[in-house]
Amino acid sequence: MQETRHQFRETLRELEAQALGGLDLVVQQLDRSLESVSYQDVELAGMVVADDDRIDGRYLEVHQGLLSTLARQAPVAGDLRIIAALLHIIRCVERMGDQCVNIAKLVPLSGYEAPKDKDILDAIERMGQLARSQVSQAKEAFASRNVELAQDLVRQDAEINRLNREIFRRAVEVGDDQDVREWAMFMILVARCLERIGDNTVDIAEQVVFVVTGLFREMADQASNPPETPQRA
Amino acid sequence: MIPPDTTSKETTELSTAGDQSEETTEAAPDLSALGVREGAGHAVDVKDLHAYYGQLHSIKGISLMCPANEVTALIGPSGSGKSTVVRCINRMHEEIPGARAEGQVMLDDLNVYADGVDITAVRRLIGMVFQKPNPFPTMSIFDNVAAGLRLTGTKSDNLRERVHRALRAVGLWGEVKNRLNEPGIGLSGGQQQRLCIARTVAVEPEVILMDEPCSALDPVATLKVEELIDELKDRYTIVIVTHNMQQAARVANSTAFMLDGELIEHGPTNEIFTNPKDERTERYVTGKFG
Amino acid sequence: MSATRTVLPEVSTRRRRTDQVMRGSLVAATVIALVPLILILYYLLKKGVSAWGRSGFFTSDPNGNFFGNPGGIRSAVLGTLEIIALASLIAIPTGIGVALYLVEYGKQGTFAKIVRYFVDVMTGVPSIVFGLFIYIVLVLGHVGGSFTGWKGAIAIALLMLPVVTRASEVVLLLVPDSLREAALALGAPRWRVVTRIVLPTAASGLVTGSLLAVARGMGETAPLLFTAGATFVATADLGQQMNNLPVQIFTDITSPRAEIISRAWGAAMALVVIVLILNLVARLISRRSRLA
Repeated sequence: MQETRHQFRETLRELEAQALGGLDLVVQQLDRSLESVSYQDVELAGMVVADDDRIDGRYLEVHQGLLSTLARQAPVAGDLRIIAALLHIIRCVERMGDQCVNIAKLVPLSGYEAPKDKDILDAIERMGQLARSQVSQAKEAFASRNVELAQDLVRQDAEINRLNREIFRRAVEVGDDQDVREWAMFMILVARCLERIGDNTVDIAEQVVFVVTGLFREMADQASNPPETPQRA
Repeated sequence: MIPPDTTSKETTELSTAGDQSEETTEAAPDLSALGVREGAGHAVDVKDLHAYYGQLHSIKGISLMCPANEVTALIGPSGSGKSTVVRCINRMHEEIPGARAEGQVMLDDLNVYADGVDITAVRRLIGMVFQKPNPFPTMSIFDNVAAGLRLTGTKSDNLRERVHRALRAVGLWGEVKNRLNEPGIGLSGGQQQRLCIARTVAVEPEVILMDEPCSALDPVATLKVEELIDELKDRYTIVIVTHNMQQAARVANSTAFMLDGELIEHGPTNEIFTNPKDERTERYVTGKFG
Repeated sequence: MSATRTVLPEVSTRRRRTDQVMRGSLVAATVIALVPLILILYYLLKKGVSAWGRSGFFTSDPNGNFFGNPGGIRSAVLGTLEIIALASLIAIPTGIGVALYLVEYGKQGTFAKIVRYFVDVMTGVPSIVFGLFIYIVLVLGHVGGSFTGWKGAIAIALLMLPVVTRASEVVLLLVPDSLREAALALGAPRWRVVTRIVLPTAASGLVTGSLLAVARGMGETAPLLFTAGATFVATADLGQQMNNLPVQIFTDITSPRAEIISRAWGAAMALVVIVLILNLVARLISRRSRLA
C-alpha cells in the first residue's frame, strides 16, 4: 500500500540528499585548498575561490526548498526536526565552504617560494586530513542517523584542536628568519580555518543527536564526559 | 404560524438600554462581562472508562486527566473513540439506545457516574458544543441564549442581563444587539456556532466539552472560535475533540492521542508535535496513516 | 498541423425517441388518474350548484315531508361539525401522544414495535368495522342512551386515531436529533425537551397531519349510520341522535323526489367544499412552517 504523503516524503529525501551533497562539495574544496597551500599553487587557489559559488548556490537551493516545504506541508514531530536540522546543516556547509575560500586566499599572500618549516607543514597536512575525514563522517552519521558515529566526531575534533595549538606553538618558536616567520603566521591562520571546519562538523553531529532523540545538547569539549542519549520508546 | 416563544417586550428594552455606544459589528470575546468567578477551576479526571454500543466494546479502559482551566485536545483517526469519550463525560453517551458506560468520571471530587446522581445536574455543570451548529429553529437569538436557563427551570430574575453577558462573552453582542428577536438560524455558520457557545455559557457550567466545533465552519469563522476558546479557558476547563491536528496544535495546552478505543499518549501539545514518545503517535501526526 | 476541435456528439435518434415515449406514457398515466377526479368535480358542480341556489338551503333543516319543500341541510352541517369537533378533541391529543411515545420514549423497543404494528393495522380497518364496534358495545348495550352524537364521535375518533398517529410520527421523526441533543446537553429533563423543543419545532407538521385526519373523518358515512343515527332535527345536544352530512346524503340519494336528490348533491358539494378548505388551510400552514 502506498504510503500517505508520498510526495512530501520524496521532497524531504531529496532535500536531505542535496544538503548532504553539499558536504561532498566541501570535501572537494578542502582537498584543493590544502593542495594549493602545500604546493603554493596560486592558480588552484583561485579556482577554489571561484568555485565557492557552487556551494553558495547549493545553500540557496536547499534553503528555498526547506522554506517551501515548511509553508506547504506543515511538518510536525520527526519531520519537523529533520527540516530544522537541515536548515542548520546547510548553513554549516556554507560556512565550511567559506573557510576553504579563506584558506585559498591565504596562499598568494604567503609568498611564492617553497614553504619553510616541515613540521608545521606536516601538522597542517595532518589537520587537513582529519578535517576531511570529519566532514565525511558527519555526512555518514546524518545519513544513517547514527548517534555513536556523531559522538565520535567530538573525539576527533579534540585532535584537531590539539594540532591547532601545536602549530601555534611551533610558529612562535620557528626561528629568526623573517620570511619563515611570516609564512608561519599565515599557517596559523590556515590552521584556524581548519579548526573552524572541525567545529562545524561537531555542529552537524549535534543535529544528528537532535533528530534522533529530540533533544539538543551542546557537544563542545565533551571528550572527557560524553553525554547520555535517552532511548526512544 | 406558530408564534415563537419570545417575550418581545423584554428584548426591545434590552437592545436600546445600556449599550448606547457606536459599536461596530465586530467585537472580541469579552469574558470579563461574566463577572468575577469565585473558587478555583475544576478538573475532569476520567478513570478506567469503558464504553459499549450494545455488544461492541468501544472504549477499552481509558484514564485521562484534564487539568482545570486548560484546553485538552483529543486527536486520533476516525473510529478511535474520541467523541465517545467526550460524550461519556457528560453522560450523553447513554442517551443512545443500547449504549452504556462504566468507570468513573471525576469532576473535582464528584463522581459523575455515582449511584443516584441527577443526570440533568451533571449536564448543567458540564456543557457541550456540537459539530454542526444547532440553534433552536423556532426561537429567536435572545431565546436561544436563554434556552439553557429556561429549559433547566432556572428561575432567573435577571434573564436579560445573563443573555447580554453571555453574548458579550463570546464576542457576538455587537453583531446581534439590534436583531435579538430574529430567528437564530438566520445567522451565518460561524455566528450560529458562537450562539451555541453563548447558550452553553449562559448556564454557567464548569466544564465545556467541544466535539469538533469547527468542522462545519469556514477558516475565518474557525479562527474566531479558536480565539474564543483561548479566552474561555481562563474561566472553564475545556476538552475538545478535533480531526484537525493543526487546530489541536494551535489551541490545546495538552493533547491526547487515541487509537482503537485506547489512549496511546497524552502530553503537552508542544511535545506531542515536536517529539512524541510513542511510535504510533509519531506516525499519526506526521500523516503516515489516519 | 491544424488542431482538431472538440466536437460533442449529438443525441442519437434512438435515445430521443425513447425519451419521448417515456414522457408520453407518464403524461398519459397522469391524465388517466386525473380524469375521474375531474369528472367527480364536474358532476358535483353541475348537480349541486342548483341546490345551493335554492333559498333556505343552509338555513333550514330537512323536514322529512313527502310533499312540498323538503328543507335544507342545516342540521346535517351542524351535526357534522359537532361530531367532528368532538372526535378531533378525542383523537388528536391521543394520536399525538401515541406518536410522542413511539418517537421519544419507545423508539425501537419491543412494546413500541407492537404498538406501531397495531396502529398500522388500524389504518387498514374498514370504517364500517369501527361503526359496528361502537354499535355493539355502546348502542346495543344502551350505554347512556341508544343512538347518540357522542357515540358517533367516538367511532370517528377511532378512525382518525391511526391517521393522526402515523402522520405525527413522521413529522416528529423529522425533528433533527441534534436539537434534542442540544437540549439534553444543556441539562433539560426529557419531558421539557419534548414540550419546549420537539413539539414547537414539529408544530406546523402536526397541525397539517391533524387537519388531514379531520378531512378524512368528515367523509365517513358507515360508522355514523350505526351510532349517531339518522334524524332530521338540528340539535346541539350530543347526547341525542344527531344528523350529519354523510348520512343525509345516504338517505337522500335514494329518494324518488328530484328535489331531494338534488339536495343530496348539494350536501355532497358542501362536504367536498369543507374538505377542500381544510386541505387549503393545511397547505398554507405547512408552507409557512420552518421544518418543511
